[in-house]
Amino acid sequence: MSVDRYSGFAFDPADLQEDVDLDAERRREILFAEGSLPRWTHWDVLGLAWNAPVEAARAAYLEKVKVFHPDRYPGKRLGSYRARLEKVFRRLTEARDVLCDEARRAAYARQTAPADEFARMELRKLEDERRSAERRARLARQSPLVARAGRVADLVRRGKEALQAGQVAQAANDLVLAQGMDPQNAEVAALAAEARRRAAVQRAGDAYERGLAAEAMGAPARALAAFREALEADPRHARAAAGGARAALAAGDAVAARELAEAAVRAQPSAGFAHEALGLALEAQGARKEARRALERAVELDPKLEQARERLKRLRWSFLG
Amino acid sequence: MSASEPVIGIDLGTTNSVVATVQDGVPRVIPGRSGQLLTPSVVAFARNGKRLVGALAKRQAITNAEDTVFAAKRLIGRRWGSKEIEDARRVLPYRLVAGPEGHDVRVELGGRTLTVQEISAMVLAELRADAEAWLGQPVSRAVITVPAYFNDGQRHATKDAGRIAGLEVLRIINEPTSAALAYGFGKQIERKVVVFDLGGGTFDVSVLDIGKSVYDVVAVGGDTYLGGEDFDRRVMDWLTFGFAKENGGIDLRQDKMALQRLRDAAERAKCELSSLPSTAIHLPFLVGGGEGKSALHLDRQLSREKLEELTKDLVDRCIAVTERTLRDAGVRPSQVGEVLLVGGMTRMPRVQQAVREFFGREPCRGVHPEEVVALGAAIQAQALSAPHAGAEVLLLDVTPQNLGLMVVGGYFQTVIPRNTTVPTSQTHLFTTVQDNQTSVRIAVLQGASERAIENELLGEFVLDGIRPARRGEVEIEVTFEISADGIVGVSARDVATGLQQSISVTATSGLTEDEMRHILDEQIDELLERKQTAREFEARRDRVLALVREIEALGPEVHDALERTRFGKDAVLKAEGVLARARTAVEARDLAALAAEEEPLERTLQLFKGLAATARPGAR
Repeated sequence: MSVDRYSGFAFDPADLQEDVDLDAERRREILFAEGSLPRWTHWDVLGLAWNAPVEAARAAYLEKVKVFHPDRYPGKRLGSYRARLEKVFRRLTEARDVLCDEARRAAYARQTAPADEFARMELRKLEDERRSAERRARLARQSPLVARAGRVADLVRRGKEALQAGQVAQAANDLVLAQGMDPQNAEVAALAAEARRRAAVQRAGDAYERGLAAEAMGAPARALAAFREALEADPRHARAAAGGARAALAAGDAVAARELAEAAVRAQPSAGFAHEALGLALEAQGARKEARRALERAVELDPKLEQARERLKRLRWSFLG
Repeated sequence: MSASEPVIGIDLGTTNSVVATVQDGVPRVIPGRSGQLLTPSVVAFARNGKRLVGALAKRQAITNAEDTVFAAKRLIGRRWGSKEIEDARRVLPYRLVAGPEGHDVRVELGGRTLTVQEISAMVLAELRADAEAWLGQPVSRAVITVPAYFNDGQRHATKDAGRIAGLEVLRIINEPTSAALAYGFGKQIERKVVVFDLGGGTFDVSVLDIGKSVYDVVAVGGDTYLGGEDFDRRVMDWLTFGFAKENGGIDLRQDKMALQRLRDAAERAKCELSSLPSTAIHLPFLVGGGEGKSALHLDRQLSREKLEELTKDLVDRCIAVTERTLRDAGVRPSQVGEVLLVGGMTRMPRVQQAVREFFGREPCRGVHPEEVVALGAAIQAQALSAPHAGAEVLLLDVTPQNLGLMVVGGYFQTVIPRNTTVPTSQTHLFTTVQDNQTSVRIAVLQGASERAIENELLGEFVLDGIRPARRGEVEIEVTFEISADGIVGVSARDVATGLQQSISVTATSGLTEDEMRHILDEQIDELLERKQTAREFEARRDRVLALVREIEALGPEVHDALERTRFGKDAVLKAEGVLARARTAVEARDLAALAAEEEPLERTLQLFKGLAATARPGAR
C-alpha cells in the first residue's frame, strides 16, 4: 500500500511517535481514518463509491471491522489509539446500519448524491411525470365512456369528501350509487366497501357506548343487548364482545358470557382483556384449569390487568383449600 | 503471566457449568477431576462445616436442603425486592436475606451470609481448579458467558464472581453468540444463523449474520426467567397437586426434604420423557403420614403428552420471543440459513417440534447443546489472548435492552437503543435547572418500558462540583458507553470549561468497590491462615516425630526393665496407644490431634527414661 493515499493529510508527529505496539503503516491508517471521519460520507467510510449496493456495503464492513475493532489488537499497548479505533468502529457500524438497509440506503443515496447525479435524477423524475400525464389525457380522449365516467367521478369525489369529513352515512350513499353506475371500477368498489365498513363501525361504536352506559347504571340486560348490537354491526369489535361477556356474567348467564368472550378472543387474539373475559367466564362455568390458562395468557399479554392477576392468584393457590 | 499460559472459557449455567479450552487449535471441553464434563452449579456447606461444590454438593442436597444453594444464576445481580427475587424466596429451600444496604441479595449458608457473587465464585473456582489439574498449569484468565438478555447489573456481578475466583475476566460474552462461534469455528460460513438457547433458567434467541469469520449479531431477545427449572416446577406442581388430592390435602411444599426429592424426581422424569413416551415417578416414604400412621409414598405415571400439556404455555412463550426477535432483526424465518439448538431443554421433542414448525426447517444437529457454549467461550478467550495462534474470529455483539435515563415526569428516555452493536457510546447534554445548582442526579436504567420505574435501575450517578452559575448556563455533556462486555460506563464534562466532572455511582444490586476489596482481602486472609496452619503443623510434627523416635529408641531397654520388675505393664500399653495415636495424627495431618498428643508423649518419654535407667546394669 503506498503512502500516496494519505497525500494532503497532515499527521501529527507526536501521534506517530507514541509508544504503542502498532507499526507505522497501521498508525497512519488509523490516524487517517479518524481524522477524515468528519468529512466522509458513509460510503467513504466503507471505502465505497456513491450508491454502491447493499451487498458491497456489507462485505466492505466485514473487511473494515477487522482493521478497526479493538479486539483485533489483544495484549497490545494501544495508548490513545484505542479511543481512535473505537471512534472509527462506531462510525463504521453507523454506516453499516444505514447502507445495509435498503430503504435507508436509498434515502441516504438521494441525500448524498453528487451534484450532477442529483440533477440527472430530478430530470428523470420530471420526465416520468410528464409522460404519465400525457398517457392519462390520451386515454380520456379515446374512451366512449368518458361522459359517464365524469358523472361517476363526481359522485366519487363527493363521497370521498364526505368520508373525510366523517359523514360516513352520506359517503356510503354516494359511493354505493357510483358503484352501481360503474360496477367494473375496482377503486369505487373498494371505496364503497370502506364507507360501508366505516358506517358499521360507527354504529357499533354508538351501541358500545350505550352498552357501557347501561352497565354503569347497573342494567346488565340492557347492556348485554347493546353490546350484542355493537358486535353485530362490527364483528371485530373485541371490546364490545368482552363487554357483552361481562354483562352476561352480571346477568347470570355464564354460557352466553363464554360465547361472547370467545368471540372477543377471536376478534383480537392479542388483547389481554379478551383473554381476561374468557378466563372469568370459564371460571364461572367451573372450568378452573381452562380459566387459569386464559388468565395466564391475559396477564402475559397485559401485565397491568389487576382483576386477572387477582383471580389467577386465587386459582393457582386454592387447590389445596 | 506468560504468553503461553492457557486461557479458558466457562459456561456458568443455572444448573450445570462447563469449562473448555483451545488446545493446538482445537476447542475441547475439560473434564473435571472426577471425569465428568458437566459440573452441577451447586454449592453446599455440609454438617461438618466442609464446603462442597459440584456433584458432591448436588448429591447431598436431599439431606441438607437448607444449606445447599442451586440456581444462583437466577439471583445474581438482581435487586432485593424485585419480582424475581420474591418468587425465588417462595420456592427455594435455602434462605435469602437483603444485603446491608437493602439493595442486593445475600444467601445464608452454613451460618454465614454470602453474596451471590461469592457463591458463583465457588463454582468458578472449582472449574478453574479442574482446568489447572487437567492442563497441569496455572490458569488465571477466562472468558465467562452470560445469557444475552442479562442486564448490566447481572453482567457486572458475573464479572465480580470471576474476580473473586481469582480469574482475570477477559470478556463477558453472550451464550448464544458463543454457541454460534463454536458452530462456525474453522468453517467458511456465509449465512444468517438463529440460536435458540433454552437453558436451565434462561431463554435467549439471537440472530447472527456470519461472514468472513465475523460474527455479527443483528438482534437478541429473551427472557431471563424462563428455563428448564420452570418445566421442572410444572411437573412438581402437578405431583404436589395430585398427592394432595389423594392424601387429604397434605401439602408437600411444607417439607423441605420432600420438596428436594420431588425436585430431583421431576427433573429426572422430564429428561427421561425426551426419549421415552412415558415414565414412572416413584418416591417411597416421601412424608410421614401423621401420628401413628405409616409413611406415605408417591407413585405416579407421567406421559410425554401430559408433560407437554403442562408446559405448553412455556414453549409458546419461547416461540413468541423468537418471533419478536426475528422481527427486530428484519429477518423472515425463511431467510434463516441455520437454526442452532442450545441448552439441555432443547432436547425436549416438543421444543424441537415447535422450532421446526416456526422456521419450516430441521434445526442443526451438529452441535452438542450442553458443551457448545463453553467451547465458543474458549475460542473467544483464545482470540483475545493469542490471536495469531488460531483461526481469526471477530465477535460483534449488541446490547440486549434499551439504555436510558429517567426524565421529568418519571418517563424513560432511551439513550442507546437495544440491538446497537457494542462497543458504543452516546452523548447527552444536561443543564442545571436551578440557580447555583452544584449537583445533578441522573438515574440510569435499562429496559423496554416507557415508564422509568418499570425498568431496571442500574445506578444513580451524582454529578457534583458543578460551578455555580445561573440556571441553564452550565451545560454538562454526559457520555454513556457500553463496552464489548455489555457493561455500562458514564463520564461527564463541563461543555464551557472542558473540565471533567466527578461522577459517583451507587451500586444497586452489585458489590461496591469496598465490598469487593473486603471479599478479596478475606480470601487472602483465608489463604494466609491456611499457610500458617501448615507451618504450625510442620513444626509440631517435627517435635512429635522426634519424641516418637526417642521413645522407640528406649524400647529395648524398657523391655529389659519390665522383664525384671513386672511393674508398669499397664503404663507400656498406654504408651503404645499414645504412639499409635500420634502416628495417625501425623498421617491425617490433623493439627489439633497432634497438639493433644504432644503432652502424653512427653510424659511417656519421661516414664521410659526412668524405666530404662532401672534396667541399666549398675544403676543401683
